[in-house]
Amino acid sequence: MTDDLITTDHPLNADQQAVLTALLDTLIPPSDDGLMPGAGSLDLVRHLREGGDNNEEMLVGLVDQFDAAFSTFDADARESAVQAFSTSQPELFEWLLMNTYMMYYKTDQVLEGIGMSAGPPFPRGNTIIDGDISSLDRVVERGKSYRPA
Amino acid sequence: MEDDPVDVLIIGAGASGAAVAWSLAETRMRIVCFEQGDWMNPSEYPSNQSNWESQSYGPYAINPNTRGRDTDYPINNEDSAVDVVNFNGVGGGTIMYAAHFPRLHPSDFRVKSLDGVADDWPISYDDLEPYFVQNDRMMGVSGLAGDPMYPPKQPPLPPIPLGLVGETVARGYDKLGWHWWPSDSAILSRPYEGRDECKNLSPCMTGCAQGAKASTDITYWPEAIRAGVELRTRHRVREITVNDDGMADGVIYYDEEGTERFQKAEVVILASNGVGTPRILLNSKSSQFPDGLANSSGLVGKNLMFHPIGFVQGVFEERLDSHKGPAGCCILSKEFYETDESRGFVRGYNMQITRGSGPLTTAAAGYRAGLIPWGRGHHEAFRKRFDHVAGIGVLCEDLPEEHNCVTLDPELVDSDGIPAPKISYTLSENSIRMLNHGLDRAEEVMEAAGAVEITRSGQLRESGWHLLGTARMGDDPETSVVNSWGRSHDVKNLFIVDGSVFVTSGGVNPTSTIQAIALHVADTMKKNLANLFD
Ligand SMILES: Cc1cc2nc3c(=O)[nH]c(=O)nc-3n(C[C@H](O)[C@H](O)[C@H](O)COP(=O)(O)OP(=O)(O)OC[C@H]3O[C@@H](n4cnc5c(N)ncnc54)[C@H](O)[C@@H]3O)c2cc1C
Repeated sequence: MTDDLITTDHPLNADQQAVLTALLDTLIPPSDDGLMPGAGSLDLVRHLREGGDNNEEMLVGLVDQFDAAFSTFDADARESAVQAFSTSQPELFEWLLMNTYMMYYKTDQVLEGIGMSAGPPFPRGNTIIDGDISSLDRVVERGKSYRPA
Repeated sequence: MEDDPVDVLIIGAGASGAAVAWSLAETRMRIVCFEQGDWMNPSEYPSNQSNWESQSYGPYAINPNTRGRDTDYPINNEDSAVDVVNFNGVGGGTIMYAAHFPRLHPSDFRVKSLDGVADDWPISYDDLEPYFVQNDRMMGVSGLAGDPMYPPKQPPLPPIPLGLVGETVARGYDKLGWHWWPSDSAILSRPYEGRDECKNLSPCMTGCAQGAKASTDITYWPEAIRAGVELRTRHRVREITVNDDGMADGVIYYDEEGTERFQKAEVVILASNGVGTPRILLNSKSSQFPDGLANSSGLVGKNLMFHPIGFVQGVFEERLDSHKGPAGCCILSKEFYETDESRGFVRGYNMQITRGSGPLTTAAAGYRAGLIPWGRGHHEAFRKRFDHVAGIGVLCEDLPEEHNCVTLDPELVDSDGIPAPKISYTLSENSIRMLNHGLDRAEEVMEAAGAVEITRSGQLRESGWHLLGTARMGDDPETSVVNSWGRSHDVKNLFIVDGSVFVTSGGVNPTSTIQAIALHVADTMKKNLANLFD
């Protein structure tokens, strides 16, 4: 997936891409059991383009606010840098977080990792149990309960 | 530009516009409906695509100000505790609704007599009963007969599945000895009239790709059109015009190209909902009607009611399949529906059990509520909640208050330059007490059901989905806008059939009752065709 990022019209250079990958992995790191990928392994630029979000300049500006060595920081240092950013630039942070979530939770591997089926809900559909309604006898036994008008 | 005259012009192709069009079609009059939005294409609904959930934050958002389609109009909610949500297109709000389909109760039509508040309706549950039945058949309603909280009724189809969510929460009600019942849902539990049954996709509120949810573009409209009604989309009405006799004589509207045109009509029927209808009436000023059309009472736009709503969510250790199945339709409880003044408020509320959200909304809402962090704790907190939650919506009766209203915004306009509606709305003390009482009870239910964690959110801002009361019905022209069969007191060839005519709101989702009223108005018009304007 990361390979997709290296295209000629990509808005970020290689150093910026390293920062972005680390940033996304800070927001959603890979899970310890290996089931869930880190968000950094997904292609945020492609997600933004597919969604018709033309805020690539905003993304570049956002990435540039992080230390060029951000990707070499340890997890604690990265989290505190992102925390500080979320406080100083709440709107920009919210935009990044929402887009990260949108990208992440439409990805087949992620959906399967959380117990859903991959792909869109239709036409696949889902099955759920009918459920037990035998206790409604108790409700019926109360007799007519609506207020006469 | 002027079009060929028509006998009946309906404004709005939503829940009520479709029902009235279908019913009137048998008269063989020339009936035309103007709808500002488009026909929907179910194969384009988000649930056909992987990014289905993100679309509910953009082109399929319930809030028109967020959605911002060119078929929408902006709404100024700044002076309101609640944002209006809607959909503008063939099917209207039913494209996005959850299809929870209870009827108002008999007592809801008599609140003044029973509880000394607000006003009685000029019609009763019994008057509407045959139209509820007709509407249930047309929409295809699933449910279970025998609920002692209602007069006898027989939904045409068996109930939709409770799922683990319904079964689990019902256990809580059983422990407490409280009422619960499978919800009446305008969603097919079995194939019906050429439509297929529900596949439990879950995103009902971004349109039903399966066609199991009864939106009127696939229920009433095909039949109405086959019977001769003409439906013109991208026709946005600016105002209703009147002749020298003070009768409505047509509408000025904008067509698809934004060209201003005039349509002459013998009868005009408003079905533009509780916000769209007062907007058109208030914008229809003339020397005869300087305060807007049909407004001699001064009540057009006043008494706006929404249904205050808050939620309690329970997290359970076991998986509940929460993301599967119709999100808003499961079971309900009417335990606290009727007035008991010892509770500190009058009237009551419905408890509507809801299923969980999809993964994106779980993560995003969880973050906003401080329950699911980003970072290293994300996966664990997410796994604990996703598919493990059940919700209870506490939907309160909203009593009419004149200061809660729709007016015309002095500056904001839509893409055709028509003034946008401005909403002024606050929750009454009675509503606040009722909501808190309901949220407390909902927490008790979750506890009894075995929830390991319970969270509560008070009045939800984006919850103005029920738009009621802004052109109320009544017998007295001084205290109401239309009579008991939707005819304007002031303008005898002008009718209103949407949620505007509600006198009080009841404590349940209103669409079943809105459509029953539309069918009642149509039937009364048919019976009185010879002297419709007397
Ligand atoms: C997200 C959501 C969930 C909901 N869930 C439920 C539920 O579970 N149960 C329930 O009972 N109700 C629910 N509702 C409410 C339900 O959708 C409405 O009660 C119902 O659609 C109202 O019917 P109506 O005919 O009054 O108006 P609408 O269905 O809103 O139709 C009005 C139509 O008029 C058109 N219009 C307005 N102005 C103009 C104009 N100037 N020119 C031309 N056309 C115009 C609009 O485009 C629209 O299509 C929900 C609504 C939403 C948005």
